[in-house]
Amino acid sequence: MSFQILLNFVIAFVWMFLNNSRAGITFVIGYILGILILFILRRFFSERFYLGRVYAVVKLLFIFLRELFKSNIAVIQDVLKPKLDIQPCIFALPITVKREWEITVLANLITLTPGTLVVDISDDNALLYIHAMNINDVDETIDDIKNTFEKAIMEVSRL
Amino acid sequence: MKVNDLILQTVTKVVAFIILIFSIYLFWTGHYTPGGGFVGGLMASSALVLMLLAFDVKTIKNVIPFDYKMIIATGLFIAVATGLGSFVFDVPFLTHTFGHPHLPGLGEVSLATASLFDLGVYLVVVGVTMTIIQTIGESE
Repeated sequence: MSFQILLNFVIAFVWMFLNNSRAGITFVIGYILGILILFILRRFFSERFYLGRVYAVVKLLFIFLRELFKSNIAVIQDVLKPKLDIQPCIFALPITVKREWEITVLANLITLTPGTLVVDISDDNALLYIHAMNINDVDETIDDIKNTFEKAIMEVSRL
Repeated sequence: MKVNDLILQTVTKVVAFIILIFSIYLFWTGHYTPGGGFVGGLMASSALVLMLLAFDVKTIKNVIPFDYKMIIATGLFIAVATGLGSFVFDVPFLTHTFGHPHLPGLGEVSLATASLFDLGVYLVVVGVTMTIIQTIGESE
């Protein structure tokens, strides 16, 4: 990923030198041409074409915004109810992501969406302990997190 | 009891760099906008303190092998030297000057000797803060 971006920058700079121009628009044109070259020769790299990963990051961002909106509405409903009938609980979520940044991003996404809060990580980095404000079905919540956030994060780090 | 600091350490590895670049920005813009050597130095030492919180003292000493007392001395020396430099031009102590030299590739920049004095302030603030915190942290 980073090597491909660096290569794309080098191609853009070479394009600037060939054109004898220091303008920003020349760099942009060279960068777009570099994207085309890298896309045609994408089989040479051990990793996948880097724009696919950029697309996955943007998708993760939009999934996060959608979930934030939805869960905030849910918390507003809980707050405005005349009777407090919440069911707090702490459950363990087994995670399949391995790298440090993946676990951190997943934990922060879970914390930033209201109703759930990451309390702790187990010592072998295999379980997240999550405090939920209003829970009716543990398995359903686990599946929900796994299908949205974890899938999107794994899509980003896929080779 | 041992806790798993994974999230704190991972976030620190990213955020410390952002705090450091913000401290350099505060230092640079101190002449025309709020900021300067003191706030910049405090911000830089806050990045170092965040690293000390996330990791332990030994690790940070290996990463940043500076003696903070020497940093205090260096900062004081720079500040005094900018003051003594005014004697060379037969003007009173700590008289500062500025100019607008043309640098290749950058065009016209305004450089002032007061920024060197500010660099001394910056280094003294970083050194003093980190000396205080490390001395308190190491005493059992």
